[in-house]
Amino acid sequence: MLPILHIGPLALPTAQLIMLLGFWLGLELAEKQAHHFRTSPAQIYHLTLIGLAAGLAGARLTYATRTPSAFLASPLNLLAPRPEMLDPAGGWAAAALAILVTMRIRRLPLWPSLDALTTLLAVLAVTLGLAHFASGEAFGAPTQALWGIELWGERRHPTQIYETLAALLAAAAVWPGRRAAVLSAQAGRAGLRFWVFMGLGAAARIFIESFRGDSIILLGSFRQAQVIAWFVLAICLWQIGQRLGQQHQAVPEEKPPHEPISSI
Amino acid sequence: MGWIRQNWTLFSILVLALSAGWIVFTPPNTGGGKASAPGEGFRAPDFELQDASGQIVRLSDLRGRPVLLNLWASWCSPCKAEMPAMQKVYETYAPSGFTILAVNTTYQDDRANALAFAKNLGLTFPLLFDSDGNVARQYRVNAMPTTFFIDSKGIIRRVVFGGPMPEALLRAEIEKMLKEETP
Repeated sequence: MLPILHIGPLALPTAQLIMLLGFWLGLELAEKQAHHFRTSPAQIYHLTLIGLAAGLAGARLTYATRTPSAFLASPLNLLAPRPEMLDPAGGWAAAALAILVTMRIRRLPLWPSLDALTTLLAVLAVTLGLAHFASGEAFGAPTQALWGIELWGERRHPTQIYETLAALLAAAAVWPGRRAAVLSAQAGRAGLRFWVFMGLGAAARIFIESFRGDSIILLGSFRQAQVIAWFVLAICLWQIGQRLGQQHQAVPEEKPPHEPISSI
Repeated sequence: MGWIRQNWTLFSILVLALSAGWIVFTPPNTGGGKASAPGEGFRAPDFELQDASGQIVRLSDLRGRPVLLNLWASWCSPCKAEMPAMQKVYETYAPSGFTILAVNTTYQDDRANALAFAKNLGLTFPLLFDSDGNVARQYRVNAMPTTFFIDSKGIIRRVVFGGPMPEALLRAEIEKMLKEETP
């Protein structure tokens, strides 16, 4: 755990620094790989920047609306550069909405764009695990397992490492050149890469959450994150099925009618 | 892989059933709350320190009230910059039971300087002196200032590294803790 990185007189929050590096690397790679999914690097760059700006604004506004009186007393604090005053759920929702609206306005193809943006999501998922490891957040439940790590005064499941490894596996499964990515570039199957990545992420969350020590509990016996991830997984499986099904329907149409040689 | 593709519906049902089984049959573990550690979701480590008048102040004695624990030094500019906002929120929320413990890291600071600074600014919240660095070690402070928002049950709700903290951040976190307290 290394929450603060000291570089000379500077004390930098390690988790935020890792996420920033992840964003930069993810965007670079997404731009380079854009052509695999019939999109342009400029298109990916603009969508990402719009998503980032909307995400930050949405995260801050969601935080502010939870305790509006705090900001009414000092409204200029809405612009304060403090990551503690951001609501992640509100940020992700605003970013997704802004990206979808931009695509609609500019008439960009939805699924190829999301396939291309999956590279950025994949890199961010890996760096999120590393950021959690640096800050000690998303910590594991106490364990006697040999691979347990000392954290917050107890031996715990290294859930941040599980999270990072799962994200690496999910990224590897959809990396350009792999089947999910190749199929995604074919007609009628755009979006497959995005849904496969989301599905793998949801499945990993369902599995890893059981080893977490900080879960939010629903109805006394269910972890909130697992319940949400289960529904996400169901949607992903349905969407993947739709795209795989399109292949079977598309095959007879793509093949020329089989004529006996003698009739030529 | 071919079988999975051809029987996607069956495969999906199988995956969802196994996932549901995993969710139902793995009981929730909550490592936070019970253990004492300087992280969000954990019980705030207890300590006792002398205040400016020489009286002992113990954190656990404040159970039942939301507490802002701020570790600071008089040589640290961001620490000093956030003090006026802290005084302002202290005046606003103290009648609701909220309090501030401003722990001066005296082992690496000068007590007289700290007292002079507090007097100049007219700070009225309790000023404590960590002369041997025990509290800074307990709370693993490696950046100045570091602030812990501790709820009325003694659980750390938020940790803020560095400063100065905006007034809205202070108000928002304090109001959240006070709201949670209200039945």
